[in-house]
Amino acid sequence: MKNAVALKNVCKEYPDFQLDHVSFTVPEGAIVGLIGENGAGKTTTIKSVLNIIPSEGEIQVFGKDHQKYEKEIKQDLGVVLDDSFLSSYLNAKGVQSIMKSIYPSWKEEKYSNYLKDFQLPANKLIKDFSSGMKMKLKIASTLAHQPKLLILDEPTNGLDPIARNDMLEIFRNYIIEDESRSILISSHITSDLEHLADYIVFIHKGKVMFSLPTSDLLENYAILKCSEEDFLKLKKEDYILFRKEKYQYEVLVENKFQFAKKYSFKVLDKPSLEEIMLFYVKGEKE
Amino acid sequence: MKGLIKKDLLNLSSYKTTLFITVFFCSIALISTEAISFAPIVICTIIGMIALSTFNYDESSKSEQFILSLPLTKKEIVLSKYILAIVSTILGGLLGSLLTIIVVSVKNAIQPEAIVSLNYESLFINTLAGMFGITLIQSIQIPSIYKWGAEKGRIQMFVLLFIGLLAILGLGFLFTKSGLSIETQQIQDFFQHFGVFLLIALIIVMYTISYRVSYHIFRKKEV
Repeated sequence: MKNAVALKNVCKEYPDFQLDHVSFTVPEGAIVGLIGENGAGKTTTIKSVLNIIPSEGEIQVFGKDHQKYEKEIKQDLGVVLDDSFLSSYLNAKGVQSIMKSIYPSWKEEKYSNYLKDFQLPANKLIKDFSSGMKMKLKIASTLAHQPKLLILDEPTNGLDPIARNDMLEIFRNYIIEDESRSILISSHITSDLEHLADYIVFIHKGKVMFSLPTSDLLENYAILKCSEEDFLKLKKEDYILFRKEKYQYEVLVENKFQFAKKYSFKVLDKPSLEEIMLFYVKGEKE
Repeated sequence: MKGLIKKDLLNLSSYKTTLFITVFFCSIALISTEAISFAPIVICTIIGMIALSTFNYDESSKSEQFILSLPLTKKEIVLSKYILAIVSTILGGLLGSLLTIIVVSVKNAIQPEAIVSLNYESLFINTLAGMFGITLIQSIQIPSIYKWGAEKGRIQMFVLLFIGLLAILGLGFLFTKSGLSIETQQIQDFFQHFGVFLLIALIIVMYTISYRVSYHIFRKKEV
């Protein structure tokens, strides 16, 4: 399988934070969700892929070195950054005028259709747009040159549930239109990614905790809620992490079918990504 | 790079009114004064400073990261700013000269009893001086902005100018103290013969050095 993006041992050091040997891939045709709490290293990882910040390690995009072939690679990239875009004193028409000079593959008709679909006025200044409208404009300007890969940093941040749902629908359609397209999307709103991403990469304190297919996580992982007495019967190798709550123990297990066979617990809850993430952040092993 | 220049020009389009008011008041000032040579200097400076305000637009919208995600090299990003700066300087010079010629012609047509004779050579020198002045400001300010940001960069520029001025005064003082005699006539002759070429050469040198410094800073900068 070809990879749209491949990171191998990517490191970046700041005085108070470090990206620690980050490795994962974005397979061609797949949507990969990058999750983690604020400050976990999601944006730093994305900036490293885009060569906005220098980093150590190996990064390949479309099988090419991301620094050596930077300009060529970026022609086929669509990027949405959480808090950075063109000046808010421009309007959607001005954005088109700029972007079509930058991307030879820019499709004016497609952009106009997006503006129409998203109900974005062409002549209104961006500064007068709502957060949702601003994000939709970023998406429209990202999709209009038909990139092979979308890199989206917190694209649903600050949006209401309806606008968020609209965004996710757009990303789904983008992949459906051409199955060789890929998306790397970061978000701390994990529920957004549960139904969208094919793979989940979880970053915690600059380290990749896991990189797994979403279906694996949601179907094979389980949460056992039990008493202290029952918990003490469990072998350490049979669970990933546990959390001691006020009246019970919550235990995250990796293979619920094997676990269910081995132990006699009848109720194993299906975890959400958020719950799994919480286990990795707050859970204990010993 | 065309897209970046377009971006800056679109951002600057909000300055149309400011520019119109400047030209209008300069015209009025020109009509009411005998010192007609100031217009190129004033207009050059204003247009040159307006061109630098594109950095403020980028900073307030945090555009730098987004621009770096586009298929553009860092060299192109820095170069686009210098192209805009150079064009603004040339435009300022041309507009200032043209305004002086038009206003003086109108003034002479309205008041034939008080004809103002326009010395084209002196107008050219003044225009060049204006261009030199704004080149000096831009050449210091652009690298300062790349280093410290649009707001801090402006303060740092004044600090640098102040240090430069102190250095020149200090050198002058040392020169006088050392008792060396200066052949002022020779210097005057030199400037009369080669002043124009010297100013043009200095403008080119300043932009070139400034561009290289800015690129060096931007290449290493982490946004």
